[in-house]
Amino acid sequence: MSALVIQSLINGVLMGGIYALYSAGFSLIFGVMGVVNIAHGDLLMLGAFLTYWMFVGLGLDPFLTLPFSLLGLFVLGYLMQRLAIHRVVGAPPIMSYILTFGTHLMISNLALVAWTADPRTVTTAYSGAHLAIAGLTVPWVKLITFLISLAVVGALYLLLHHSQMGRAIQATSQDREMARLSGIKVDRVYALTFGLGAAITGLAGSLVVAFRDVDPGMGLPYTIIAFCVVVLGGMGYIPGALVGGLILGVTGSVCTLLFTPGWSVAITFFLLYLMLLLRPAGIMGKGIVE
Amino acid sequence: MKFRRAGIFLLTLALALTLGLAAPAAAAQEFTFGCAVPLTGLFGKDGQLVRDAYTFWMETINAKGGIAGKYRVRIIFYDDQSDPQTSAKLVERLVTQDKVDLLLGGFGSSQVMAASAAAERHKFPYLSGGASSNKLYDRGFKYYFGTLGKATEEVRGCVDVFTAVKPKPKTVAIVGANIPFTAESCKGFKEYAEKSGLKVVHFELFPISLKDYNTMLLKAKAKRPDVLLVGSHLAVAMRVVKAMKEIDFNPKGVAFSYGPTVPTFVQELKADADYVFAASEWTPNLPYSGPVFGSARQFNQAYRQRFNRFPDYVEAASAAAAVVQQVAIEQLGLKPRVSPADRVRLMEKLHQIDLMTFYGSVHFGKSGANRAHPPVAVQVQKGQLVNVYPAKWAEKPPIYPMPAWNKR
Repeated sequence: MSALVIQSLINGVLMGGIYALYSAGFSLIFGVMGVVNIAHGDLLMLGAFLTYWMFVGLGLDPFLTLPFSLLGLFVLGYLMQRLAIHRVVGAPPIMSYILTFGTHLMISNLALVAWTADPRTVTTAYSGAHLAIAGLTVPWVKLITFLISLAVVGALYLLLHHSQMGRAIQATSQDREMARLSGIKVDRVYALTFGLGAAITGLAGSLVVAFRDVDPGMGLPYTIIAFCVVVLGGMGYIPGALVGGLILGVTGSVCTLLFTPGWSVAITFFLLYLMLLLRPAGIMGKGIVE
Repeated sequence: MKFRRAGIFLLTLALALTLGLAAPAAAAQEFTFGCAVPLTGLFGKDGQLVRDAYTFWMETINAKGGIAGKYRVRIIFYDDQSDPQTSAKLVERLVTQDKVDLLLGGFGSSQVMAASAAAERHKFPYLSGGASSNKLYDRGFKYYFGTLGKATEEVRGCVDVFTAVKPKPKTVAIVGANIPFTAESCKGFKEYAEKSGLKVVHFELFPISLKDYNTMLLKAKAKRPDVLLVGSHLAVAMRVVKAMKEIDFNPKGVAFSYGPTVPTFVQELKADADYVFAASEWTPNLPYSGPVFGSARQFNQAYRQRFNRFPDYVEAASAAAAVVQQVAIEQLGLKPRVSPADRVRLMEKLHQIDLMTFYGSVHFGKSGANRAHPPVAVQVQKGQLVNVYPAKWAEKPPIYPMPAWNKR
């Protein structure tokens, strides 16, 4: 294999990690509540802008802003669920599309009024710094994002399977009524789940702004990618986000190298189409199929 | 019953007064212009610059009493959301519902393409300073005019500057977003590069929705070009700089068709923005001057005072478009409300006009395309945009080769 192919694989794996990080929350929310959150990308945007403004206003390093975007987006997600989303849990899917699409329009347009359409990015002393080994380059920020992504998906998996709260979330997602009868406060579980999903998405946004420009209108394309990732990995199956992210990242990068960048975008949707047709439960077959 | 009749009479009278008497008196003193321009979406930032330029023209001219010294100017702006269909619909609305006297052009070749087709249908002159796709002029339109050069010609300064540096580069790689303006920029890059004896070792267009720029640029890097030429708007230009640094891509020079002249570019990328070249049609140190704004330098200073930043060349081109239309109106002695027959006369006048402005000469001729301006290139040096080409107007010599990322 030539160095070029290896480099493109590295690029793809790193991109995959980023895809996985911002898709995990989408998968979690869908898995537990059955809500396809079209405003998902806007949560990412809010995380990114939180970091941007803390960087510009307070001179805070993007990595130091991570706890703030985790916490800030958790609170926002929790409130969003309590005030709006809870009305459509268990309702036909079209209701959640309409509500979350409306939320998307609201958030992105308010952000537009507040922050204008300027593309923004965070440029630090280490922006673009990379590890160079044998002619290959591994950008630090993307590498760290990849590692955080592994850690988040791992932690989420552990939380769901090995903690009281996780078991409550699982039970609620499997059978809402039975969970309620067993004394689980279902509404609280939902709000916590949404908060958690929003928090890791905000975290992803804070990392994205370090290597990519962001703007208030960026949300929807990211939601679409998250949708592709989650369909590939299996809807609602958390480790699937990692699998789906890696598949998308690597095929995109290799297609760009071997064919043209146009193919890398086309292949994303081709994969989505194939999966929905042939394996709606995702590559691992563990996703939720309605 | 009598009471009711009296009420109806009074109402009718009131209506007649407001419609029949008040309205013409107020409106006759004012020209209403309509403009559909992107204020949000992919070209939101670029479109806002165009709005600023028109606003600046309106304020300047109103401070002098208005067009011909007596007719004030009012502009209705609509946001086309960077969407061509929306832009066309909004032009329809401006013409049929808002009944504007005349139009001002929008931003972005795709939007302007659609919007100017609507203007052509209604026989409204449409002058744009924010679109340069060659295709705009291939339609045989009579009412479309552009102050910017054609996209393929506009990038010439970017290529020519590399023929003037030492050691002269031998190879170039060209990449660009696959949308009308930037794809044509790439075509122009290729044409001028080959004419100048530069070998094109890599040429690739990519979709505007591309997420990962690293691998796309990796292919260009593998060809080891001396110079990288990029067909871009602002966001694409920013992404390319970020990715170049991440993959440690160090050509001796890099140039963009558009982006670095927008203040956001330097503001967000900081020191990483240094050494990049950009095509320009206008810089404030060019020896141009004309009506309304005076010289290029005066325009630049006044703009700075108003918006607390210097204008980009697209803003200059847009303001110039407004000035040319205004001068044509004055030469014809048009008054508000502008009639359909007036608009035909205005269109004919615009095809003949040959005017020196702060932005340089404007002569549309038969095709509606402005006479090509001498190519200009700018470079970001220590965070400042500096005119570096052609030599006779250069503020500073170009810095070439640019230092590698790890030597900065």
